Amino acid sequence: MYKSYLKKIVSSSIVASVVLLGTTCNASSDDAKKVAKSSNSVGPAKAEVSDSVKRTYANGKKVIDGGVTYPIVNGQTGAYAANEKAHKAAVKFGKPATANEIKAWNIDVMPDGTGLPEGSGSVEDGEELYETKCVSCHGDFGAGSGSYPKLTAGNAYEMQKTMVNQRVGGNDEGPKRTFGSYWPNASTLWWYIKTGMPHPAPMSLTNDEVYAISAYILNINEMEIDGELVEDEYVLDREKFLKIQMPNKDGFIPKIDGPKGPDNVRAFYDDVSNYGNGIRCMKDCFDGEAKVQKIKMAISDFTPPLSNEKSLPAAPKGAKAEHPGKAGYEKHCAVCHGTEAMGAPMLGNKKAWAKVLKQGKDTVYSNAIHGKNGMPPKGGTSLADDKIKEIIDYMIEEAK
Amino acid sequence: MNNTSQIELDTMAEQAAELTSRRDFFRKAAAYSAGAVVATTVLADASEHTKANPKDDKNILEEKPWSLELGAPVTKNRYGMPSPYEHNVTRRTTDILSSGNMQASIAVTPIQDLSGIITPNGLFFNRCHGGTPTIDPNQHRLMIHGLLEKPIVLTMDELKKYPSVTRVHFIECPANGGPEWRGPQFNSIQFAKGFMSNAEWTGVYIKDIIKELGLKKEALWMLAEGIDNSHMGRTVPVDKVLDDAMIVWGQNGEALRPEQGYPIRLLVPGWEGNLCVKWLCRLEFAKEPFYAKEETAKYTALTKNGGKAIQHFYANEVNSVVTSPCPEKPWKDLKKGDLVEIEGLAWSGMGTIRGVDISFDGGKNWEEASLKGLVLEKSWTRFSYIYKYEGKDLLLSTRARDDAGHIQPSVKQERDTVGVEGVYHRNGIHTWAVSAKGDVTNVQILS
Repeated sequence: MYKSYLKKIVSSSIVASVVLLGTTCNASSDDAKKVAKSSNSVGPAKAEVSDSVKRTYANGKKVIDGGVTYPIVNGQTGAYAANEKAHKAAVKFGKPATANEIKAWNIDVMPDGTGLPEGSGSVEDGEELYETKCVSCHGDFGAGSGSYPKLTAGNAYEMQKTMVNQRVGGNDEGPKRTFGSYWPNASTLWWYIKTGMPHPAPMSLTNDEVYAISAYILNINEMEIDGELVEDEYVLDREKFLKIQMPNKDGFIPKIDGPKGPDNVRAFYDDVSNYGNGIRCMKDCFDGEAKVQKIKMAISDFTPPLSNEKSLPAAPKGAKAEHPGKAGYEKHCAVCHGTEAMGAPMLGNKKAWAKVLKQGKDTVYSNAIHGKNGMPPKGGTSLADDKIKEIIDYMIEEAK
Repeated sequence: MNNTSQIELDTMAEQAAELTSRRDFFRKAAAYSAGAVVATTVLADASEHTKANPKDDKNILEEKPWSLELGAPVTKNRYGMPSPYEHNVTRRTTDILSSGNMQASIAVTPIQDLSGIITPNGLFFNRCHGGTPTIDPNQHRLMIHGLLEKPIVLTMDELKKYPSVTRVHFIECPANGGPEWRGPQFNSIQFAKGFMSNAEWTGVYIKDIIKELGLKKEALWMLAEGIDNSHMGRTVPVDKVLDDAMIVWGQNGEALRPEQGYPIRLLVPGWEGNLCVKWLCRLEFAKEPFYAKEETAKYTALTKNGGKAIQHFYANEVNSVVTSPCPEKPWKDLKKGDLVEIEGLAWSGMGTIRGVDISFDGGKNWEEASLKGLVLEKSWTRFSYIYKYEGKDLLLSTRARDDAGHIQPSVKQERDTVGVEGVYHRNGIHTWAVSAKGDVTNVQILS
């Protein structure tokens, strides 16, 4: 049965095969399990469903993303153990959010105008603000600079038509995705400017300033509101803002608005022909040799550059040179002088070293070289006198 | 490069300087010491004049300074650091991935250097839209409001009182592989596939919090918003919120790193990384989607189908890549007939990896590889294949499939379906060209 399946998949379009498989899957759970064993599963309708792997959420609705879910069955979800009681317990912490708190943080602006405050600003004012606060990144007339985003690609209505362009087969004219040509809702612009711009100082613009800058951006995209071109003297306010019709309003799938929104998304991702899926062919999957596309212009200005070296990093610039006695101290002397417990003057103990130094530096050197009390000559090493002195100098430094 | 990594590098360099000086000291000290002669060889009695054998490894015969002196005290590096010899294992970036500056950019994970399925926190990829903030957790709050009977505010301590859940999931930027829709551009696995990482996360299911808050029936969407410079927002369908979306504070056993949203971030398992809003401060429930800035300006995928763009593209599709060999880790010092392991990563945001097929001729013929280690949903999964090295040119491709029934498409199938202008969600079969010498380059197969 499954060979004929594969032929159908290969010979028919993916859409058709998914419909076919979907029917099989829904026929009965036994059938679904048989299908699941086949290694030629194609698309979400062929999920390996069982009690512990489902195509639905807890409320019985189909998944929204083309995937599967792992309900808790006998204290187990997928490979994980779960404490079911913990998820059922009526745990509640925190405090009620006050009206002021919500007002302070509820900064989003929705397409229907929810969150959009009153205010107004002209294109002329917007241009002035743009020249002082925006131009350094977004360039003259929103043309962009460096890799900062362009705010316009020309007339929004004309540029919207570039969305069908594909840069294949020598066509280098790609789609122009800017605010005017691409975005489905103007509310996003207001929200973006208010809470995210200017980039180094977000939330610093007044509502009127945001209206003014929005008006300027509509102007450089050569857009109309209610049939009227947004020219230099145009004054934008809340009422006019809500009348903006974006040229690419219908350029997006699936449709997410309205009470059916999530169900549209569900249906969209249930159909792999919308975003692609493979076929598990194992032998002679195409004619002739593989057609290889190689790198034309490699991007390799990586920070830091790639390296497999297992090496010590270079010393940092301006790093202080280490005291020449430090390494010797750590190797030979720290065993006793690194701790109070041995009775030896400890490294960094100012009081102990002050007492030692009362004898004079030369006596300290001499005692270290020839030994005194618990201190063996040269600390039991065979280091040269100069090296011992270097170590003493280091220990004196550390106690300063 | 960001400041944090510069500081880390400086610390490593300081350690290195110290090591070098200690080695110098050892050499000098040895010259002064009567025991110097025996100290340079571990042979029991140097006076026996053991005959040198050209096959001798001097690394075995010579004493090493680190075995003849004290090491660092336990008081050093109270928070541990990698060996300074590992300083090249680091996140990296490149200018074309930036939206203007290094605060609106991405630093990607060196997946060529990772073992197993867990990404160390310091190497977890970092995408941000306005830099990494340093947030005082004592002053941070989470507000949950909108279409709920009881809107609340939680301190971080209060949030952590909820029953916690620990899960291993990848986070993948949907632009992983995105610069290569029209052909390969990076001769590097780190840049071709490193816009992702995998970690063990600890936090609370959002459904466990809101079940006591009276979510209203008409609530279909949830806005998640961060409190950093960018105030990043994303709309998540309530269906997913009530399934497995979490607010997380723990990553691989410790607090989230600042780059990962400290003190808390949203985790939407399997879905686009940008939905996992970092520095999370607010969840608002509503009956209509929000159209936050990056939902339009960035994370929509333009298709060739009438110029329509996919919006609300959620799960990262099933995908795989060979990590060894790869351009950064070519095959070296192999003889014909040697058996060598080909290893890689497979992952799916829609379910659990069921299997991976491997091809040596660019996808004309395939064999099944083995999965190994933990096989978890919406997590990296390791695969393995033992290959007999023959010193010939290969086109090494892998094709993963998941339990949701998805199979990785070929590059051709994917381009035929959605075109080449999508930027996001590219999961076409990845291929390395392996030369007879063992060098590895990034190619795409158009058959």
